Amino acid sequence: MKTFKSEKRFYPDYLSEIIFSILIALELLLVLVLIFPPEVGRQIDFSKPFQPLPEWYFLWLFELVSYFPGNLMFIGTFLIPLSCILLLLLIPFLDKGKYGRIKAYIAGSAVLLVFCLFTILSLVE
Amino acid sequence: MGKLFDWFDSRFAVKAPHRRFFERSIPPNLNYTYCFGGIAFTYFLILVLSGLLLSIFYVPSEKEAYKSVVMITNDIPFGWLIRGVHKWSASLFIIFIILHAIRVFVSKAYRPPRELNWVIGTSIFVIAMASGFTGYLLPWDQKAYWATEVGTSMVGTIPLIGKSLMYMIGGGSEVTGTTLIRFFSLHVLFLPLMIGILLWLHFHIVKRQGISTNL
Amino acid sequence: MDRRNFLKRVVKLFFLSLNLSLIIIISYLYPSKIKQKRLLNIYVTDEEFLPKKGIKRFEYSFDKDGERVTNFVFIKRDEEGLTAFSPFCTHLGCLIRWNNIHKEFICACHGGRFDKEGNVIAGPPPRPLERMPIEIKDGKVFLGIKA
Ligand code: FES
Repeated sequence: MKTFKSEKRFYPDYLSEIIFSILIALELLLVLVLIFPPEVGRQIDFSKPFQPLPEWYFLWLFELVSYFPGNLMFIGTFLIPLSCILLLLLIPFLDKGKYGRIKAYIAGSAVLLVFCLFTILSLVE
Repeated sequence: MGKLFDWFDSRFAVKAPHRRFFERSIPPNLNYTYCFGGIAFTYFLILVLSGLLLSIFYVPSEKEAYKSVVMITNDIPFGWLIRGVHKWSASLFIIFIILHAIRVFVSKAYRPPRELNWVIGTSIFVIAMASGFTGYLLPWDQKAYWATEVGTSMVGTIPLIGKSLMYMIGGGSEVTGTTLIRFFSLHVLFLPLMIGILLWLHFHIVKRQGISTNL
Repeated sequence: MDRRNFLKRVVKLFFLSLNLSLIIIISYLYPSKIKQKRLLNIYVTDEEFLPKKGIKRFEYSFDKDGERVTNFVFIKRDEEGLTAFSPFCTHLGCLIRWNNIHKEFICACHGGRFDKEGNVIAGPPPRPLERMPIEIKDGKVFLGIKA
Protein backbone atom coordinates (compact mmCIF):
# COMPACT_ATOMS: atom_id res chain seq x y z
CA MET A 1 0.00 0.00 0.00
CA LYS A 2 1.15 3.48 -0.81
CA THR A 3 2.18 5.77 2.01
CA PHE A 4 1.31 9.40 2.00
CA LYS A 5 2.93 12.41 3.47
CA SER A 6 -0.02 13.36 5.58
CA GLU A 7 -0.45 11.62 8.86
CA LYS A 8 -4.14 11.08 8.34
CA ARG A 9 -5.19 7.67 9.50
CA PHE A 10 -8.42 5.82 8.95
CA TYR A 11 -8.97 5.65 12.68
CA PRO A 12 -9.73 8.08 14.19
CA ASP A 13 -9.22 10.94 11.71
CA TYR A 14 -11.14 9.61 8.78
CA LEU A 15 -13.66 7.62 10.76
CA SER A 16 -14.76 10.68 12.70
CA GLU A 17 -15.41 12.49 9.45
CA ILE A 18 -17.43 9.53 8.24
CA ILE A 19 -19.47 9.54 11.42
CA PHE A 20 -20.06 13.25 11.01
CA SER A 21 -21.50 12.73 7.52
CA ILE A 22 -23.57 9.78 8.71
CA LEU A 23 -25.13 12.05 11.33
CA ILE A 24 -26.00 14.58 8.65
CA ALA A 25 -27.50 11.80 6.54
CA LEU A 26 -29.67 10.66 9.44
CA GLU A 27 -30.78 14.18 10.11
CA LEU A 28 -31.75 14.69 6.49
CA LEU A 29 -33.77 11.48 6.61
CA LEU A 30 -35.60 12.39 9.80
CA VAL A 31 -36.43 15.88 8.58
CA LEU A 32 -37.92 14.43 5.40
CA VAL A 33 -39.97 11.86 7.31
CA LEU A 34 -41.34 14.45 9.72
CA ILE A 35 -42.22 16.91 6.97
CA PHE A 36 -43.70 14.28 4.65
CA PRO A 37 -45.03 11.45 6.80
CA PRO A 38 -46.23 8.38 4.90
CA GLU A 39 -49.83 8.28 3.76
CA VAL A 40 -52.09 5.37 3.10
CA GLY A 41 -53.29 5.27 -0.48
CA ARG A 42 -56.81 4.49 -1.62
CA GLN A 43 -57.99 0.91 -1.74
CA ILE A 44 -57.87 -0.87 -5.08
CA ASP A 45 -61.03 -0.16 -7.04
CA PHE A 46 -61.56 -1.35 -10.58
CA SER A 47 -64.52 0.90 -11.16
CA LYS A 48 -62.53 4.12 -11.06
CA PRO A 49 -59.94 5.09 -13.63
CA PHE A 50 -56.74 6.00 -11.91
CA GLN A 51 -53.72 7.86 -13.15
CA PRO A 52 -50.81 5.88 -11.76
CA LEU A 53 -47.61 7.57 -10.74
CA PRO A 54 -44.47 5.54 -10.18
CA GLU A 55 -41.57 6.38 -7.88
CA TRP A 56 -39.68 9.45 -9.03
CA TYR A 57 -36.76 7.43 -10.37
CA PHE A 58 -39.09 5.63 -12.79
CA LEU A 59 -40.80 8.75 -14.07
CA TRP A 60 -38.46 8.96 -17.06
CA LEU A 61 -39.36 5.41 -18.14
CA PHE A 62 -43.00 6.21 -17.68
CA GLU A 63 -42.64 9.30 -19.84
CA LEU A 64 -40.62 7.48 -22.49
CA VAL A 65 -43.35 4.98 -23.34
CA SER A 66 -45.74 7.68 -24.46
CA TYR A 67 -43.46 8.66 -27.36
CA PHE A 68 -43.47 5.29 -29.09
CA PRO A 69 -46.85 4.29 -30.47
CA GLY A 70 -48.02 0.94 -31.75
CA ASN A 71 -45.40 -1.53 -32.79
CA LEU A 72 -42.52 0.74 -31.83
CA MET A 73 -43.49 0.36 -28.19
CA PHE A 74 -40.50 -1.81 -27.34
CA ILE A 75 -38.11 1.05 -28.15
CA GLY A 76 -39.36 3.01 -25.18
CA THR A 77 -39.94 0.12 -22.84
CA PHE A 78 -36.88 -1.91 -23.62
CA LEU A 79 -34.34 -0.62 -26.12
CA ILE A 80 -33.64 2.79 -24.59
CA PRO A 81 -33.52 1.61 -20.95
CA LEU A 82 -31.31 -1.30 -21.90
CA SER A 83 -28.90 0.87 -23.84
CA CYS A 84 -28.76 3.27 -20.90
CA ILE A 85 -27.70 0.46 -18.60
CA LEU A 86 -25.20 -0.87 -21.13
CA LEU A 87 -23.69 2.57 -21.69
CA LEU A 88 -23.27 2.97 -17.94
CA LEU A 89 -21.66 -0.44 -17.60
CA LEU A 90 -19.30 0.19 -20.49
CA ILE A 91 -17.94 3.55 -19.33
CA PRO A 92 -14.63 2.14 -18.03
CA PHE A 93 -14.12 0.20 -21.26
CA LEU A 94 -14.93 3.17 -23.47
CA ASP A 95 -12.30 5.20 -21.69
CA LYS A 96 -9.39 3.87 -23.75
CA GLY A 97 -7.00 5.60 -26.11
CA LYS A 98 -6.56 9.23 -26.93
CA TYR A 99 -10.17 10.38 -26.84
CA GLY A 100 -11.19 7.90 -24.19
CA ARG A 101 -12.16 10.43 -21.57
CA ILE A 102 -14.30 12.33 -24.05
CA LYS A 103 -16.08 9.15 -25.09
CA ALA A 104 -16.73 8.33 -21.46
CA TYR A 105 -18.03 11.83 -20.90
CA ILE A 106 -20.42 11.51 -23.81
CA ALA A 107 -21.72 8.15 -22.59
CA GLY A 108 -22.14 9.27 -18.99
CA SER A 109 -23.78 12.57 -19.77
CA ALA A 110 -26.06 10.96 -22.36
CA VAL A 111 -27.50 8.64 -19.72
CA LEU A 112 -27.80 11.43 -17.19
CA LEU A 113 -29.41 13.68 -19.79
CA VAL A 114 -32.02 11.07 -20.77
CA PHE A 115 -32.79 10.52 -17.11
CA CYS A 116 -33.11 14.20 -16.21
CA LEU A 117 -34.78 15.36 -19.40
CA PHE A 118 -37.61 12.83 -19.34
CA THR A 119 -38.08 13.16 -15.60
CA ILE A 120 -38.55 16.90 -16.03
CA LEU A 121 -40.80 16.42 -19.04
CA SER A 122 -43.09 14.14 -17.06
CA LEU A 123 -43.17 16.59 -14.16
CA VAL A 124 -44.06 19.46 -16.44
CA GLU A 125 -47.23 17.77 -17.62
CA MET B 1 -9.27 -0.69 24.86
CA GLY B 2 -11.62 -1.91 27.53
CA LYS B 3 -11.05 -4.97 29.64
CA LEU B 4 -13.97 -6.83 28.17
CA PHE B 5 -12.74 -6.25 24.65
CA ASP B 6 -9.23 -7.38 25.58
CA TRP B 7 -10.64 -10.58 27.03
CA PHE B 8 -12.55 -11.14 23.83
CA ASP B 9 -9.57 -10.26 21.68
CA SER B 10 -7.21 -12.60 23.51
CA ARG B 11 -9.50 -15.46 22.48
CA PHE B 12 -10.57 -14.50 18.99
CA ALA B 13 -7.73 -12.23 17.91
CA VAL B 14 -9.93 -9.85 15.97
CA LYS B 15 -7.72 -6.83 16.50
CA ALA B 16 -4.50 -7.81 14.79
CA PRO B 17 -5.84 -8.69 11.36
CA HIS B 18 -7.87 -5.49 11.22
CA ARG B 19 -5.13 -3.22 12.47
CA ARG B 20 -3.89 -2.61 8.94
CA PHE B 21 -7.32 -1.56 7.89
CA PHE B 22 -7.93 0.73 10.83
CA GLU B 23 -4.54 2.34 10.90
CA ARG B 24 -3.86 2.65 7.20
CA SER B 25 -3.15 6.14 6.07
CA ILE B 26 -5.69 7.92 3.97
CA PRO B 27 -4.77 10.02 0.93
CA PRO B 28 -4.70 13.67 1.98
CA ASN B 29 -6.69 15.29 -0.82
CA LEU B 30 -10.07 13.74 -0.15
CA ASN B 31 -13.08 15.97 0.26
CA TYR B 32 -16.57 15.36 1.51
CA THR B 33 -17.82 14.14 -1.87
CA TYR B 34 -15.93 10.95 -1.05
CA CYS B 35 -18.57 10.31 1.59
CA PHE B 36 -21.44 9.83 -0.84
CA GLY B 37 -20.84 6.11 -1.17
CA GLY B 38 -20.65 5.71 2.58
CA ILE B 39 -23.86 7.66 3.06
CA ALA B 40 -25.59 5.46 0.50
CA PHE B 41 -24.40 2.45 2.48
CA THR B 42 -25.79 4.01 5.66
CA TYR B 43 -29.17 4.31 4.00
CA PHE B 44 -28.93 0.70 2.90
CA LEU B 45 -28.40 -0.37 6.51
CA ILE B 46 -31.35 1.75 7.62
CA LEU B 47 -33.43 0.17 4.86
CA VAL B 48 -32.54 -3.30 6.08
CA LEU B 49 -33.35 -2.46 9.67
CA SER B 50 -36.64 -0.67 9.00
CA GLY B 51 -37.60 -3.34 6.46
CA LEU B 52 -37.06 -6.08 9.02
CA LEU B 53 -39.27 -4.18 11.46
CA LEU B 54 -41.99 -3.67 8.86
CA SER B 55 -41.99 -7.33 7.93
CA ILE B 56 -43.14 -8.18 11.46
CA PHE B 57 -46.57 -6.64 10.87
CA TYR B 58 -46.93 -6.70 7.11
CA VAL B 59 -49.04 -9.53 5.66
CA PRO B 60 -48.24 -10.31 2.02
CA SER B 61 -51.65 -11.46 0.90
CA GLU B 62 -54.25 -10.03 -1.41
CA LYS B 63 -56.81 -9.65 1.35
CA GLU B 64 -54.65 -8.55 4.24
CA ALA B 65 -51.92 -6.45 2.67
CA TYR B 66 -53.80 -3.17 2.53
CA LYS B 67 -55.26 -3.61 6.01
CA SER B 68 -51.89 -4.40 7.52
CA VAL B 69 -50.34 -1.30 5.96
CA VAL B 70 -53.17 0.82 7.35
CA MET B 71 -52.58 -0.79 10.73
CA ILE B 72 -48.85 -0.15 10.62
CA THR B 73 -49.41 3.47 9.71
CA ASN B 74 -52.25 4.31 12.08
CA ASP B 75 -52.32 1.92 15.02
CA ILE B 76 -48.87 0.65 15.82
CA PRO B 77 -46.76 3.01 17.93
CA PHE B 78 -44.16 4.66 15.70
CA GLY B 79 -45.39 2.57 12.79
CA TRP B 80 -45.71 5.70 10.67
CA LEU B 81 -42.13 6.57 11.54
CA ILE B 82 -40.73 3.20 10.52
CA ARG B 83 -42.70 3.29 7.29
CA GLY B 84 -41.63 6.83 6.55
CA VAL B 85 -38.02 6.02 7.28
CA HIS B 86 -38.16 3.01 4.98
CA LYS B 87 -39.79 4.96 2.19
CA TRP B 88 -37.53 7.99 2.40
CA SER B 89 -34.28 6.16 2.86
CA ALA B 90 -35.11 4.22 -0.32
CA SER B 91 -35.28 7.50 -2.24
CA LEU B 92 -32.16 8.84 -0.56
CA PHE B 93 -30.36 5.56 -1.25
CA ILE B 94 -30.98 6.04 -4.97
CA ILE B 95 -30.03 9.72 -4.86
CA PHE B 96 -26.75 9.03 -3.11
CA ILE B 97 -25.88 6.17 -5.42
CA ILE B 98 -26.28 8.61 -8.31
CA LEU B 99 -24.19 11.25 -6.54
CA HIS B 100 -21.55 8.66 -5.70
CA ALA B 101 -21.45 7.52 -9.33
CA ILE B 102 -20.99 11.11 -10.48
CA ARG B 103 -18.17 11.60 -7.98
CA VAL B 104 -16.46 8.40 -9.16
CA PHE B 105 -16.87 9.49 -12.75
CA VAL B 106 -15.48 12.97 -12.20
CA SER B 107 -12.48 11.73 -10.22
CA LYS B 108 -11.80 9.10 -12.92
CA ALA B 109 -11.87 6.39 -10.28
CA TYR B 110 -13.42 3.89 -12.70
CA ARG B 111 -10.17 3.57 -14.64
CA PRO B 112 -8.11 0.38 -14.58
CA PRO B 113 -7.67 -1.52 -12.36
CA ARG B 114 -11.06 -0.45 -10.98
CA GLU B 115 -13.31 -1.21 -13.97
CA LEU B 116 -14.89 -4.18 -12.29
CA ASN B 117 -15.89 -2.17 -9.28
CA TRP B 118 -17.70 0.26 -11.56
CA VAL B 119 -19.58 -2.66 -13.08
CA ILE B 120 -20.50 -3.97 -9.63
CA GLY B 121 -21.64 -0.52 -8.56
CA THR B 122 -23.84 -0.17 -11.62
CA SER B 123 -25.39 -3.57 -10.93
CA ILE B 124 -26.16 -2.49 -7.38
CA PHE B 125 -27.83 0.60 -8.78
CA VAL B 126 -30.00 -1.44 -11.14
CA ILE B 127 -30.97 -3.90 -8.41
CA ALA B 128 -31.76 -1.03 -6.08
CA MET B 129 -34.16 0.33 -8.70
CA ALA B 130 -35.72 -3.13 -9.02
CA SER B 131 -36.16 -3.20 -5.24
CA GLY B 132 -37.92 0.12 -5.46
CA PHE B 133 -40.24 -1.21 -8.14
CA THR B 134 -41.14 -4.40 -6.28
CA GLY B 135 -41.53 -2.56 -2.98
CA TYR B 136 -43.91 -0.08 -4.55
CA LEU B 137 -46.57 -2.76 -5.01
CA LEU B 138 -46.56 -4.00 -1.44
CA PRO B 139 -48.97 -1.44 0.11
CA TRP B 140 -51.51 -2.83 -2.38
CA ASP B 141 -53.40 0.40 -2.99
CA GLN B 142 -54.60 2.08 -6.18
CA LYS B 143 -51.30 3.81 -6.89
CA ALA B 144 -49.32 0.65 -6.32
CA TYR B 145 -51.64 -1.53 -8.35
CA TRP B 146 -51.79 0.57 -11.48
CA ALA B 147 -48.12 1.52 -11.47
CA THR B 148 -47.27 -2.16 -11.31
CA GLU B 149 -49.84 -3.04 -13.96
CA VAL B 150 -48.17 -0.55 -16.29
CA GLY B 151 -44.69 -1.68 -15.26
CA THR B 152 -45.27 -5.38 -15.84
CA SER B 153 -47.07 -4.66 -19.11
CA MET B 154 -43.96 -2.80 -20.17
CA VAL B 155 -41.94 -5.95 -19.57
CA GLY B 156 -44.49 -7.75 -21.72
CA THR B 157 -43.67 -5.60 -24.74
CA ILE B 158 -40.10 -6.86 -25.02
CA PRO B 159 -39.85 -8.73 -28.34
CA LEU B 160 -39.87 -12.55 -28.26
CA ILE B 161 -39.32 -13.25 -24.58
CA GLY B 162 -41.43 -10.40 -23.21
CA LYS B 163 -44.61 -12.33 -22.47
CA SER B 164 -42.88 -15.26 -20.80
CA LEU B 165 -40.72 -12.89 -18.81
CA MET B 166 -43.83 -11.05 -17.68
CA TYR B 167 -45.47 -14.30 -16.54
CA MET B 168 -42.28 -15.22 -14.76
CA ILE B 169 -42.05 -11.95 -12.87
CA GLY B 170 -45.71 -11.34 -12.20
CA GLY B 171 -46.99 -14.90 -12.07
CA GLY B 172 -49.70 -14.26 -14.66
CA SER B 173 -50.96 -11.94 -17.34
CA GLU B 174 -52.25 -9.33 -14.92
CA VAL B 175 -51.44 -8.14 -11.44
CA THR B 176 -53.02 -10.44 -8.85
CA GLY B 177 -52.32 -11.87 -5.43
CA THR B 178 -49.70 -14.11 -7.04
CA THR B 179 -47.85 -11.02 -8.20
CA LEU B 180 -47.99 -9.60 -4.70
CA ILE B 181 -46.40 -12.69 -3.18
CA ARG B 182 -43.72 -12.84 -5.86
CA PHE B 183 -42.86 -9.19 -5.44
CA PHE B 184 -42.80 -9.61 -1.68
CA SER B 185 -40.32 -12.45 -1.95
CA LEU B 186 -38.16 -10.56 -4.43
CA HIS B 187 -38.26 -7.39 -2.39
CA VAL B 188 -37.58 -8.98 0.95
CA LEU B 189 -35.29 -11.91 0.15
CA PHE B 190 -33.77 -12.09 -3.31
CA LEU B 191 -32.87 -8.51 -4.08
CA PRO B 192 -31.49 -7.48 -0.65
CA LEU B 193 -29.39 -10.63 -0.61
CA MET B 194 -28.02 -9.79 -4.03
CA ILE B 195 -27.28 -6.21 -3.01
CA GLY B 196 -25.62 -7.47 0.15
CA ILE B 197 -23.28 -9.79 -1.71
CA LEU B 198 -22.45 -7.18 -4.33
CA LEU B 199 -21.79 -4.57 -1.64
CA TRP B 200 -19.42 -6.89 0.12
CA LEU B 201 -17.53 -7.36 -3.15
CA HIS B 202 -17.60 -3.62 -3.76
CA PHE B 203 -15.99 -2.85 -0.41
CA HIS B 204 -13.58 -5.73 -0.63
CA ILE B 205 -12.21 -4.40 -3.89
CA VAL B 206 -11.87 -0.91 -2.44
CA LYS B 207 -9.94 -2.37 0.47
CA ARG B 208 -7.64 -4.25 -1.90
CA GLN B 209 -6.99 -1.42 -4.28
CA GLY B 210 -7.05 1.49 -1.86
CA ILE B 211 -8.87 4.74 -2.37
CA SER B 212 -8.38 6.19 -5.80
CA THR B 213 -6.43 9.43 -5.97
CA ASN B 214 -6.54 10.04 -9.68
CA LEU B 215 -7.98 13.48 -9.21
CA MET C 1 -4.08 -37.83 -19.91
CA ASP C 2 -2.65 -38.28 -16.49
CA ARG C 3 -4.59 -38.59 -13.31
CA ARG C 4 -4.22 -34.98 -12.37
CA ASN C 5 -5.55 -33.57 -15.63
CA PHE C 6 -8.38 -36.00 -15.49
CA LEU C 7 -9.36 -34.81 -12.03
CA LYS C 8 -9.21 -31.21 -13.19
CA ARG C 9 -11.66 -32.08 -15.91
CA VAL C 10 -13.93 -33.76 -13.41
CA VAL C 11 -14.00 -30.66 -11.26
CA LYS C 12 -14.80 -28.49 -14.28
CA LEU C 13 -17.53 -30.86 -15.36
CA PHE C 14 -19.03 -30.76 -11.91
CA PHE C 15 -19.29 -26.99 -11.92
CA LEU C 16 -20.65 -26.98 -15.45
CA SER C 17 -23.33 -29.46 -14.55
CA LEU C 18 -24.45 -27.18 -11.73
CA ASN C 19 -25.84 -24.92 -14.45
CA LEU C 20 -28.41 -27.58 -15.17
CA SER C 21 -30.17 -26.60 -11.99
CA LEU C 22 -31.02 -23.36 -13.77
CA ILE C 23 -33.48 -25.27 -15.92
CA ILE C 24 -35.17 -26.66 -12.84
CA ILE C 25 -35.26 -23.25 -11.21
CA ILE C 26 -36.79 -21.61 -14.25
CA SER C 27 -39.47 -24.24 -14.67
CA TYR C 28 -40.18 -24.00 -10.95
CA LEU C 29 -40.62 -20.24 -11.16
CA TYR C 30 -42.72 -20.27 -14.32
CA PRO C 31 -46.35 -19.99 -13.27
CA SER C 32 -47.77 -23.48 -13.61
CA LYS C 33 -51.16 -22.50 -14.82
CA ILE C 34 -51.37 -19.13 -16.44
CA LYS C 35 -54.94 -18.81 -15.37
CA GLN C 36 -57.18 -20.60 -17.78
CA LYS C 37 -59.70 -17.94 -18.52
CA ARG C 38 -63.31 -18.97 -18.83
CA LEU C 39 -65.96 -16.94 -20.53
CA LEU C 40 -68.52 -15.96 -17.94
CA ASN C 41 -71.92 -14.56 -18.75
CA ILE C 42 -72.68 -11.80 -16.35
CA TYR C 43 -75.79 -9.76 -15.88
CA VAL C 44 -75.04 -6.05 -16.24
CA THR C 45 -78.26 -4.13 -16.43
CA ASP C 46 -81.78 -4.13 -17.84
CA GLU C 47 -82.47 -3.31 -21.43
CA GLU C 48 -84.46 -0.20 -20.56
CA PHE C 49 -81.37 1.46 -19.09
CA LEU C 50 -79.36 1.12 -22.29
CA PRO C 51 -78.81 4.34 -24.21
CA LYS C 52 -81.07 4.92 -27.20
CA LYS C 53 -78.11 6.16 -29.12
CA GLY C 54 -74.56 6.78 -27.99
CA ILE C 55 -72.24 5.41 -25.32
CA LYS C 56 -72.86 4.80 -21.64
CA ARG C 57 -70.81 3.42 -18.82
CA PHE C 58 -72.13 0.52 -16.73
CA GLU C 59 -70.78 -0.92 -13.55
CA TYR C 60 -71.14 -4.57 -12.74
CA SER C 61 -69.91 -6.93 -10.04
CA PHE C 62 -69.23 -10.61 -9.97
CA ASP C 63 -67.63 -13.21 -7.75
CA LYS C 64 -64.14 -14.32 -8.59
CA ASP C 65 -62.43 -16.88 -6.37
CA GLY C 66 -64.80 -15.98 -3.57
CA GLU C 67 -64.17 -12.25 -3.88
CA ARG C 68 -66.49 -9.59 -5.12
CA VAL C 69 -64.95 -7.71 -8.02
CA THR C 70 -66.46 -4.54 -9.41
CA ASN C 71 -65.63 -3.47 -12.90
CA PHE C 72 -67.21 -1.43 -15.64
CA VAL C 73 -67.89 -1.54 -19.34
CA PHE C 74 -68.85 0.91 -22.09
CA ILE C 75 -71.92 -0.03 -24.08
CA LYS C 76 -72.63 1.66 -27.38
CA ARG C 77 -75.85 1.55 -29.35
CA ASP C 78 -76.23 2.79 -32.90
CA GLU C 79 -77.67 1.65 -36.24
CA GLU C 80 -75.51 -1.45 -36.20
CA GLY C 81 -76.76 -2.52 -32.81
CA LEU C 82 -74.95 -3.04 -29.51
CA THR C 83 -71.21 -3.01 -28.94
CA ALA C 84 -69.44 -3.44 -25.61
CA PHE C 85 -65.96 -2.02 -25.12
CA SER C 86 -63.58 -3.29 -22.49
CA PRO C 87 -62.36 -0.43 -20.28
CA PHE C 88 -58.73 -1.56 -20.39
CA CYS C 89 -56.45 0.49 -22.61
CA THR C 90 -54.67 -1.67 -25.17
CA HIS C 91 -51.40 0.12 -24.50
CA LEU C 92 -50.36 -0.85 -20.98
CA GLY C 93 -53.64 -1.72 -19.36
CA CYS C 94 -54.86 1.45 -17.62
CA LEU C 95 -58.57 2.18 -17.33
CA ILE C 96 -60.07 4.53 -19.90
CA ARG C 97 -62.73 7.24 -19.59
CA TRP C 98 -65.46 8.29 -22.04
CA ASN C 99 -65.48 11.97 -22.86
CA ASN C 100 -68.96 12.84 -23.99
CA ILE C 101 -68.07 16.32 -25.23
CA HIS C 102 -65.34 15.31 -27.64
CA LYS C 103 -66.96 11.92 -28.25
CA GLU C 104 -63.82 9.94 -27.56
CA PHE C 105 -62.30 7.52 -25.06
CA ILE C 106 -59.35 8.90 -23.15
CA CYS C 107 -56.62 7.01 -21.34
CA ALA C 108 -54.95 9.30 -18.85
CA CYS C 109 -51.83 7.15 -18.49
CA HIS C 110 -49.97 8.15 -21.64
CA GLY C 111 -52.64 10.12 -23.44
CA GLY C 112 -54.08 7.36 -25.60
CA ARG C 113 -57.34 8.32 -27.37
CA PHE C 114 -59.92 6.20 -29.16
CA ASP C 115 -62.92 7.21 -31.24
CA LYS C 116 -66.42 5.88 -30.59
CA GLU C 117 -65.72 2.81 -32.72
CA GLY C 118 -62.78 2.01 -30.46
CA ASN C 119 -60.14 2.86 -33.05
CA VAL C 120 -56.96 4.61 -31.99
CA ILE C 121 -56.91 8.28 -32.92
CA ALA C 122 -53.96 9.48 -30.89
CA GLY C 123 -51.29 8.36 -28.49
CA PRO C 124 -49.36 5.14 -28.12
CA PRO C 125 -51.99 2.35 -28.00
CA PRO C 126 -51.17 -0.28 -30.64
CA ARG C 127 -54.64 -1.80 -31.16
CA PRO C 128 -58.27 -0.68 -31.16
CA LEU C 129 -60.23 -1.23 -27.96
CA GLU C 130 -61.22 -4.78 -27.23
CA ARG C 131 -64.86 -5.66 -27.79
CA MET C 132 -66.74 -7.95 -25.47
CA PRO C 133 -69.57 -10.28 -26.40
CA ILE C 134 -72.93 -8.85 -25.38
CA GLU C 135 -76.47 -10.16 -25.68
CA ILE C 136 -79.98 -9.41 -24.50
CA LYS C 137 -82.15 -12.12 -23.03
CA ASP C 138 -85.68 -11.36 -21.76
CA GLY C 139 -84.90 -7.70 -21.40
CA LYS C 140 -81.70 -8.34 -19.47
CA VAL C 141 -78.25 -7.46 -20.76
CA PHE C 142 -75.56 -10.09 -20.36
CA LEU C 143 -71.88 -9.49 -20.89
CA GLY C 144 -69.29 -12.14 -21.72
CA ILE C 145 -66.23 -11.51 -19.62
CA LYS C 146 -63.04 -13.49 -19.36
CA ALA C 147 -62.21 -14.31 -15.76
S1 FES D 1 -51.97 2.66 -20.90
FE1 FES D 1 -53.37 3.82 -22.07
S2 FES D 1 -52.01 5.14 -23.10
FE2 FES D 1 -50.63 3.90 -22.02
